Amino acid sequence: MDNLQRFVSQLRTRVFAVLVLNNLLLFADWWVMEKIIGASPERLLISMVVVTVLSLTVLPWLSANYLAQPTKLIWQAILHIAPDTANIPAPDLKKHTIGHDLVTNLVSHVYQLASVVDNIERTQATKPRDLSSDFVASALPLPMLVLDKNRNIVFANHAMCEYSGRTATEMTNQNLYSVIDLSFTTNETFDKWLDEAKKTAAVESKTWQRVRLRLPGDGTKQRQFDLVAYFNAENPEGFESMLVFFDRTKDYEKDDQGLGFIAMAVHELRVPVTLLRGYIDAFEEDLDGKLNPELTDYLHKMNIAAEGLTAFINNILNVARVENDQLTLKLHEEQWPEIVKGVTDDFSLRAKIKGITIEANVQKDLPTVGVDRISVHEVLSNLLDNALKYSGTGKKIIITSVLNKEGLVETTVQDFGAGIPESVIGNLFDKYYRSHRSRTNVGGTGLGLYLSKAIIDAHGGRIWVRSKEDEGSTFGFTILPYAKLADEQKNGDNNDITRGAHGWIKNHSLYSR
Amino acid sequence: MEPNSHVSSPTTSRKVLIIEDEHFISELYVRALTRGGYDVTVEVDGARGMKLAQTNQYDIILLDLMVPTITGIEILRQLRAPGAPRLKSKIVITTNLEQREEVRSDIEKQADAYLVKAEITPRELVDFLGTIK
Repeated sequence: MDNLQRFVSQLRTRVFAVLVLNNLLLFADWWVMEKIIGASPERLLISMVVVTVLSLTVLPWLSANYLAQPTKLIWQAILHIAPDTANIPAPDLKKHTIGHDLVTNLVSHVYQLASVVDNIERTQATKPRDLSSDFVASALPLPMLVLDKNRNIVFANHAMCEYSGRTATEMTNQNLYSVIDLSFTTNETFDKWLDEAKKTAAVESKTWQRVRLRLPGDGTKQRQFDLVAYFNAENPEGFESMLVFFDRTKDYEKDDQGLGFIAMAVHELRVPVTLLRGYIDAFEEDLDGKLNPELTDYLHKMNIAAEGLTAFINNILNVARVENDQLTLKLHEEQWPEIVKGVTDDFSLRAKIKGITIEANVQKDLPTVGVDRISVHEVLSNLLDNALKYSGTGKKIIITSVLNKEGLVETTVQDFGAGIPESVIGNLFDKYYRSHRSRTNVGGTGLGLYLSKAIIDAHGGRIWVRSKEDEGSTFGFTILPYAKLADEQKNGDNNDITRGAHGWIKNHSLYSR
Repeated sequence: MEPNSHVSSPTTSRKVLIIEDEHFISELYVRALTRGGYDVTVEVDGARGMKLAQTNQYDIILLDLMVPTITGIEILRQLRAPGAPRLKSKIVITTNLEQREEVRSDIEKQADAYLVKAEITPRELVDFLGTIK
């Protein structure tokens, strides 16, 4: 402040001097004109006007430059440190100027400020950047919505605006469901989850797959998303939950189409089979006991053929599933003897017609097994179907189930037919492979063993065949006792274990099937 | 085709609604079910079927998934929606359609049973319905 006061007093004296000079000039002019020259009053007036005009022009011009000197110097100092004009030289402060102390002081302040800014920039350049959350949310290339307690939208990022074709302003404060229509593959919806989270959790997040999303104006177009939701009970600034969408429409459509044709073909095949079986059923019901033995036999054979067709259709479907990596098994705790009995019962009529006895020796006290009931039923059916087809002159089929040395439940299906030559035995479980003899006289597609192997593999078991020509064949497979399977899974969720054709399925991973 | 046909059986107490657009299939089911002592109504249209299901007290609803106007999945969803009036009817899905595993298990959760029509004869269906209480 001293400097400033000194500067003000310097200014005061300079302005005073200028004013005195001006008055002196006028006085001198008057003196010369009046006393020395003795000019007339008119001439005196003219001379005074001229001197006044001259002094009013010259004196401000001279003094302004002088008085503005401090401002110029400070301005030059600022320009010197400013990044765009750094080529301007630093002001020369040695020159004698008005307010010299003030200028020196101010310029040194300017330089200090510059060095502080420099330091901040330098430290920021080395520190990880602190990205503002708004920036991240806006730039996130995935559609994102932030909702308040009432599920009204408080924020929609740029990607969401692009998806919905609406501006952020149009969406803000709207209810979520007035903007988008979400449908989930299970009852576990976003709403249900959020209600639950509100009751129990402080912070929670959840992922859904195959969420269908429809926007107003989408028409029939369905988009499929994986959805991640985040909930925070703290509710900072109106925020309660956040939704982030991963568009997976193309992937899922591709998945769907993978089975699309097969699924359609299966449906088209099943309709006539349903009718065929229905009509045969009606005939059997009403003609029971009224037909001669030959026709009764034909009717049974018709029924069996239709049943075989049903099984075949399921095989096609399941092979397609294996190949699309879509065979999903739900392994439950089951009683193995019950499953064996179910299959042998299914085949009893066919066996009787062919004059073959099916003998089932199931070890007592077998532990419960961890299997997908429908799938293992199919495996046993395929093996029994083969045994019946290839029994030839053999009149007996033996099914045996024991707990083997490795602690696995081992089941074998033995026939006493023609057997399989050693040369072809290695290919039996390949797709479409049918042994030489079967190509001519026995029906089938060669899918059964391929599928059985896929199913048993997925169960964590093993399937094999032993055969000797003219003595018959034995097909065997192992499955895991339930306790062993649950041990292997070790995630505590023992009641419902899911497996795919190629191993375990992670239940909660975002991109697993 | 008439909107819905109703075959009454004098001795019955159990009412069945069949929502099915494949005429030959429903014909076979009606035959077996009436012989089994059921009171059977058939509806070919999804929307009308749902209305019938909502306004009548059926013991059992046999629901095909591929029916005109509203799909069976949508009917099931609406009948079993959390806010919908409680429906006493047992819902048995009868379909020849194949679903993705997730879709099927979701349908199974909402319905009381899931049957593939090709895998069951009309008489087996009647036996099966006898086990659903």
